[in-house]
Amino acid sequence: MTVSVYVPVALSVLVAVISRLMVARLSPTRGTVITVVGAAVLCAAGTTWALVLLALTLLGFTPLAVHEATERGVVLVQPVPGVVGALAAVALVIGVARVVRVVRTRWATRRELRELCRSCGKGELAVVPVAEPHAFAVPGRPGRVLVTQGLLELLDGKERRVVLAHERAHLTGRHHGLRATAEVCAAMNPMLVLVREAVAFLVERNADEHAATVSGSRALAAQALAKAALAEAGGRKQAALGFIANSVSARVAALHEAPPRPDRLLPGGFLILGVGTTIAAVQATLAFYRLIHWLWLG
Amino acid sequence: MRDGARLPRRRRAGEPRRGAGELESEVLAALWAAGHPLTTADVQRAVDAELAYNTVQTILARLYDKGLVGRSAEGRRHLYRPVKGAEELAAEQMQALLRRGPDRQSVLQRFATSLSEEDAEALRAMLKLRRRRR
Repeated sequence: MTVSVYVPVALSVLVAVISRLMVARLSPTRGTVITVVGAAVLCAAGTTWALVLLALTLLGFTPLAVHEATERGVVLVQPVPGVVGALAAVALVIGVARVVRVVRTRWATRRELRELCRSCGKGELAVVPVAEPHAFAVPGRPGRVLVTQGLLELLDGKERRVVLAHERAHLTGRHHGLRATAEVCAAMNPMLVLVREAVAFLVERNADEHAATVSGSRALAAQALAKAALAEAGGRKQAALGFIANSVSARVAALHEAPPRPDRLLPGGFLILGVGTTIAAVQATLAFYRLIHWLWLG
Repeated sequence: MRDGARLPRRRRAGEPRRGAGELESEVLAALWAAGHPLTTADVQRAVDAELAYNTVQTILARLYDKGLVGRSAEGRRHLYRPVKGAEELAAEQMQALLRRGPDRQSVLQRFATSLSEEDAEALRAMLKLRRRRR
């Protein structure tokens, strides 16, 4: 119990560090993104379960349990320091609150985007008649591509094709679901924030590669992306957000290079770490069960 | 298609065939970008000059049938324009959405939030370079 319960935490850190170091080198295929998200889910589930077990050990030392144990002549040995159990309970409550907030924000934004699309009329393409250049993919059945008239005016025909293909790739690849899942994992386990950022970057790269294929030119895709990003920034000074800060330039740079070759080794590594977390969680559960058994049945 | 030679223009290697839905959106986007009614030939130029005229005509007819574009006759030609929704409401909703806090911004994942001053400078330089090369 004492060791295996902490293993999911250690593996989460490992997954986060690897995703941070490797994100630029991973080939952004859908399979890769799904593997990374899968590892994040296993890590988040493993750590959450470990927190539940740690918090539950507090129950073993309630006055009632202690009283009963002394009556039966059992000397209680605390397997986990009480402070750790209390901290785990606090972390659990905070994590759940953060997950609720993330889900509600996502839900509200999505509903607003769908209402906005409805105001723009029917069809796949929804154009908002404002000058500020923006483009979004709005998931749903069917998903829609939302762009502002300002962005369309700024680009030529082939660049518009790149932007439309990029947003459409988000819809067909169900990137919103993947990003939302990674975000929930990061809300539950803050160590996975790096994985969330890696997933956000990978789905953008995936959509970029798709747009480059559709438009038939990587250079054209890079140009359209740079134009759209510059226009959206609109000269306003932006606060750099750590890791993502250089994502647009990284994406443009990647489009100027040869198309990425799919790799098999790295996604496998992510999966192994995720599975390791699960094994540790199962071990911790068995140990916890033995502890309970010993406590209550002698 | 049995006879590839009859195609208006053969696709280059590695260039994927685009679905009708994708072309419809591209044509609609071109009409919006123009800001004034366009003839079929104008649309062809605005979307992709290499696109077959007949294809553009078919797409415009389909968009008209779906009620997504309006059409008016000018002499023997047709002029096409996008059918607009509730413009003011849409503009208001958009502004409201963009005014939301950083929480929403991350959900919307805008480019701008991830563009530092140095990055912007590098991108500008890249675009200038491409323009000169052309």
